Amino acid sequence: MSGALSLLFVATSCAYSMASLGYFLFIGNGSENAAKWAARLLLVGAGCQLAFMLGDTYGVPQFEDVRQMFTLASLAIVVGLLLAQRVGRLSVLGAFVTPVALLMFLAAGLGHSVPNVPEDVRSALLPAHVVVNVLGVAAFTLAFAVAAAYLIQERLLRRRQLGGLFHRLPPLDVLDSLGLKLLLVGFPLFTLGSVSGAIWAAQLPTRISPNQALGLVAWCVFAGVLLLRVAAGWQGRRAAIGTLLGFACALAVVIGYALRVKSGAF
Amino acid sequence: MAPRHLVLVGLSHHTAPLAVRERLAFSSEQMPERLRALVSRAGLQEAMLVSTCNRVEMYGSAADPQEATRGIRDYFAEVAEEQNLAAHLYEHTGDAVARHAFRVASSLDSLVVGEPQILGQVKEAFSLATEAGTVGSLLGRCMNRAFAVAKRVRNETGIAAGAVSVSSIACDLARSIFGELTGRRVVLVGAGEMSEAAAKALAQNGTLLTVVNRNQERARAVAEACGGEAREFDQLSQELIAADVVITSTASPRYVITRELMQGVIRARRHRPLFLIDIAVPRDVDPRVENLDNVFLFDLDDLEQVASQNIAARKREAEQAERIVEAEVQAFEEWQRTLDLTPTLVALRERVRTVIHGELERTLPRLKSVSEAERKALEIMCDAMVNKLLHRPMTELKRTSSDPNGSQLVESVRRLFELEIRHAAGPEPGPELEPAPANVLVRTGNPSGESP
Repeated sequence: MSGALSLLFVATSCAYSMASLGYFLFIGNGSENAAKWAARLLLVGAGCQLAFMLGDTYGVPQFEDVRQMFTLASLAIVVGLLLAQRVGRLSVLGAFVTPVALLMFLAAGLGHSVPNVPEDVRSALLPAHVVVNVLGVAAFTLAFAVAAAYLIQERLLRRRQLGGLFHRLPPLDVLDSLGLKLLLVGFPLFTLGSVSGAIWAAQLPTRISPNQALGLVAWCVFAGVLLLRVAAGWQGRRAAIGTLLGFACALAVVIGYALRVKSGAF
Repeated sequence: MAPRHLVLVGLSHHTAPLAVRERLAFSSEQMPERLRALVSRAGLQEAMLVSTCNRVEMYGSAADPQEATRGIRDYFAEVAEEQNLAAHLYEHTGDAVARHAFRVASSLDSLVVGEPQILGQVKEAFSLATEAGTVGSLLGRCMNRAFAVAKRVRNETGIAAGAVSVSSIACDLARSIFGELTGRRVVLVGAGEMSEAAAKALAQNGTLLTVVNRNQERARAVAEACGGEAREFDQLSQELIAADVVITSTASPRYVITRELMQGVIRARRHRPLFLIDIAVPRDVDPRVENLDNVFLFDLDDLEQVASQNIAARKREAEQAERIVEAEVQAFEEWQRTLDLTPTLVALRERVRTVIHGELERTLPRLKSVSEAERKALEIMCDAMVNKLLHRPMTELKRTSSDPNGSQLVESVRRLFELEIRHAAGPEPGPELEPAPANVLVRTGNPSGESP
């Protein structure tokens, strides 16, 4: 990494770290100023990250580079959060989402040991497969934050702990409907990613990998949650728990790729 | 004329029971006449009467505060026809009046600390006194500062945060579940007073109300009062399926909404969230209903717990508010000292100018052939002498005006130069007077707050 890129990497990491701290302060003591500064730092961090990515790829993304795709996913999550904050009073989501984006960015930046997708398994489908998965992961990360916020808010309401945090979290119905919207955005992307991955995998001589199996489980969980929400009218707690479960599976898939649990996982 | 002092005589929920307070209540129609009567008989130069169901207070200013407070006490005793009224009355003079006014307007002295109605009531009382012509510069300044302090307290502390009445808690909790309440369906099961008040508060937020009651006549009456519709009691299940918020307050000895009933309702609702407020004693809703997904049940104990938490939080914020009030009282004291100083400065300049110009007038006839231009030059010279001579003393007087001992220097100057001080007399509205909002009434109903 060149000196300028290192500087951008450190600036992005610092901005996201401080933004996380700001969001924690907001969720902890209700400091509106902390939330405002956190949003500004997040914007600065996103700018630095974009510059870092352009410098890192010379403006041409390499879809076979797992590290670059992790960085892209991190940026997509941050942009999604910034957009969500513009739509409504959802600053509190920053406390859940920013650390995830930071961890992904750091994992990507420090992940020199992760080799690129091997030459022999690359295909024309790879860019589409990677991009839709990255965007799907970003949507699911936001859905995870919304579901977590829902469960916390519901727990506070049931335990009659109606103090500061309760007032800072958005209303249950708002969280529930936002969670559904994010699933409706993320699921088609994830489906496309899974289908393109399956087509690609069918061309390979290897058998189905644990990652692919886990990906299938994640898809089934999200499909089940969406089906129950739409067909059976599931709302609230159950839907939130289903979303968390689906996100956990999706996260495991992403981590599995990153760690390359076994060779030939692609 | 002697300087004016602020005076206050009153009673409140802290010092008098309701039986005494209600005997001294004044309606807004009586106010102008009562104020003018008091000004003429109690030696008051300014007067303003605040009358709510929790307090009756007469604010004013007078040259002789003892005589004024005695006059107000006597007047109150006459109105209340109560010999022992003095035992319930409190009195303040000078800066203590400003402190009390600031605390009252900021709702620090209210039964429910932080309730918002009292500020509107004080503003209305001020407006009535201004219309009656009994507010002058001193009382006007004091009350305008009180309004500004109240605004500061509200903006800089969380004294008004957190609902403390059943109605407002119901609205707050409904918002925390549903967000925007417009178009949400509220079902009132039974028609008690408290539930009616909660339903009215929700209706003000744009909800659609249905009243389900065994007594249809009562159901129709409540529905009409709250802008809703009445339904037969046997339609309860259907109404529960359509509802977002349910408020129950029947006199039934058994549960009206059972767990079994709610399980069916929840399925039919396709798990949409439902907020149940049970304010009946004995309870109308089976407490096991709370264990159902997407059902949120609050009974009277829960509501009281929420109110207690919010009241405790307001008390913590009140400490910060008291510090703001104290700082503002000090600023008011400084302003008053400056007010006391201004007539002295004017009189001192006039005194010195009169002496010097008097000498000039005596000298001029003795001089031969003084042209008009030369005469004007001499007058300008005299004015310059006055300015130069008084520059240092006046600067020093102004500097020490914020000093608590500064009044001694002012007094010395007055004695040394034999100054006669003229204070602005009688009620004359100051330039900073603000009219009270027209939509705020002095005696308005508010179960949780200060009024009526």
